[in-house]
Amino acid sequence: MEKIGIEKINLYGCSLCMSQTDLAVARGKDPERVVKAYMIDTRSLNPPYEDTVTMSVNAAKPILSEKDKKDIGLLIVGTEGSVDFGKPISTNIHEALGLPPNVRNYETKHACYSGIAALDSAINWIAAGLNQGKKALVIATDFSRKHFHKDHEFVLGGVAAAVLVSDTPKVVEFEIEKKGFWTTNVYDTFRPSAVAEVGNNEVSLYSYMDALEGSYLHYVSNVGEIEFDTYFNKNIYHLPFPGMSFQAHRLLCNLERPRKKSEVKESFNQKVLASLTYAQRVGSTYGASNLVSLCGIIKSADDLKPGNRIGFFSYGSGAIGEFYSGLILPEAKEIVDSMKIDQALDLRRQVSVNEYEKIENLRESYIENPNFKPDLSVADNWYDAFYKGKELLVLKEVKDYFRKYDWS
Amino acid sequence: MTREEVAAVIKKHILDNLEDLEENDINPAKSMKDFGANSLDIIEVVSCSMRELKIKIPRAELADIITIDQLTDKFMEHIT
Repeated sequence: MEKIGIEKINLYGCSLCMSQTDLAVARGKDPERVVKAYMIDTRSLNPPYEDTVTMSVNAAKPILSEKDKKDIGLLIVGTEGSVDFGKPISTNIHEALGLPPNVRNYETKHACYSGIAALDSAINWIAAGLNQGKKALVIATDFSRKHFHKDHEFVLGGVAAAVLVSDTPKVVEFEIEKKGFWTTNVYDTFRPSAVAEVGNNEVSLYSYMDALEGSYLHYVSNVGEIEFDTYFNKNIYHLPFPGMSFQAHRLLCNLERPRKKSEVKESFNQKVLASLTYAQRVGSTYGASNLVSLCGIIKSADDLKPGNRIGFFSYGSGAIGEFYSGLILPEAKEIVDSMKIDQALDLRRQVSVNEYEKIENLRESYIENPNFKPDLSVADNWYDAFYKGKELLVLKEVKDYFRKYDWS
Repeated sequence: MTREEVAAVIKKHILDNLEDLEENDINPAKSMKDFGANSLDIIEVVSCSMRELKIKIPRAELADIITIDQLTDKFMEHIT
């Protein structure tokens, strides 16, 4: 069978960030303990003139040549942070990127699984041969809501990931027949209104662990007997926050044979740690998680070689777990390096906790607001200092609910 | 295995995972959160205890448990 996978990839980790240490101090928590437990150094933050539409476009624009745009036949956007319950943001994104009209577009929703649901659909479209030589653009884009003074205020963030999926992959080739799934009906974390993001942290983590075990065992039953330690060169786990990956890796290590924490730690450092590179800088990665981790592992794992197998676990509250795998391709590092993701994250402005609170209050006041012009003055006129002339997509105005986007 | 032995296993893992906590500080009628545990600590204590006790409980069943006593009772239901 032909190869199917990711040809190009990029991340957009917002233009602002906040230090986890600053937040811990402001909330009266021990900063060292907070940073160690959640493994987040900074979290990304959007100014009020960015949303899931602008993040998507700002992630996808750098990977697309004019030829790529002509080659795209399918655009799927996964998100749990859409700006409309009916109109999919994929239509706003389609226009902003200047894609041709003969493109199918839609939005997928399944909490943090939305991005992988989108990726799966794109892969299957190509595998079925219905793409007729065309490529798919898949975007995962999410941003957290306001949670001042809650436990989970330390596991928030936002990021968009864009991938070009084709039968000429250069970053990773997916093993499309090797998959495992696990579904249950649970209220762990959910967004029942445009402002509420509710749930129970422990329920969600327990459900995550059940889904990991269930989908991995299903993967094994489909693939045949494998040895966990040797079959996967690296492992990527869904990251509600990076610290979760140790628990996840420990579960799979111990499924094969019970082992001491120190032994799990050694395996974790060798196989998982590099995947956290970017997540530790953007915070919660939501639907973009597996793709953020993929960039991290390609960028930072010095021992990664073409042909290496990566085991992926995606989780969506609600809930689903999917375990799948892919093989690293020779040009992966060159392609990820060319996106200069580190440099883009370095350019973010670090805001104080006061500025963060002001921005989040402002952003919340815009939700379901039929008429407003986003405040460009926040964070010391960051718009003028950073955006002006950079050709990033921003939200200009909402008038009678119509959203107007334009280039900065 | 007696209830006291199960409670001792849970207590051991709480002490292993939570800093600055003495054995006498642990009141089983309270939640681990009352002793400074975050969600990850709780998952860790529960996973390690289940492993040591060689029991497997669907984790969603553990969701409504609040106190250490309730956790001990839930584990006892699965001890053969």
